[in-house]
Amino acid sequence: MAAESETRGNNNDREHRSSALKRQVSRIEQDAEDAWSRTRDVFSDISQSLDVKGRVNRHPYGTLAAAVGFGYVLGGGFFTPLTARILRLGFRIGVRLAVLPLLNDEAAGVINNLMGGESSSGGETPRPRGRGQRSNQSGQSQSSEGKVP
Amino acid sequence: MEIAEKIEETAREFEERVRPQLDQAKKRLGAMNDEVIDYIKANPGKCLLGALAVGYIIGRIARR
Repeated sequence: MAAESETRGNNNDREHRSSALKRQVSRIEQDAEDAWSRTRDVFSDISQSLDVKGRVNRHPYGTLAAAVGFGYVLGGGFFTPLTARILRLGFRIGVRLAVLPLLNDEAAGVINNLMGGESSSGGETPRPRGRGQRSNQSGQSQSSEGKVP
Repeated sequence: MEIAEKIEETAREFEERVRPQLDQAKKRLGAMNDEVIDYIKANPGKCLLGALAVGYIIGRIARR
């Protein structure tokens, strides 16, 4: 009788342990599913907020260039001589594109002034152009600062 | 005058010979560009990941 009750108790204990283990496994499974669904939601939220597909559809090459740049920074290439060289080149090109037309305008104004000074002794004098006045393509001058007192 | 005319004529001939090829090359380039854009639009994830990987590799090389 004692042996029987002992084996019964052992069986009960085993069943109890196995059921507890099963419960734990099912809980872990549920937690994993929850974590996976949450991660998926987060990724879908991020992709929706970034609107990756829309961006790619609107600017395919620009998005690819941005991805290359992001990868370049991730690869640790940002603080390197190559980046400095690229930035310097871009700065130079930008300065040339921005400043050269202004310099051209100024030089044209100075030359016009000089020519006006020379030709004032005889003949027509062209209207002198001061600062803030630029000639457009049709050759007319227009003031960018408004009326000068 | 004759030399100038000859030069003009050769230039015109050259233009006539080269223009169709240039037009064809332009058309081909345009078609290729359209294909590339279509591919990027069809597989945005793949292309973005590829671009990211290319940038990463370039960054690693530049770091050395």
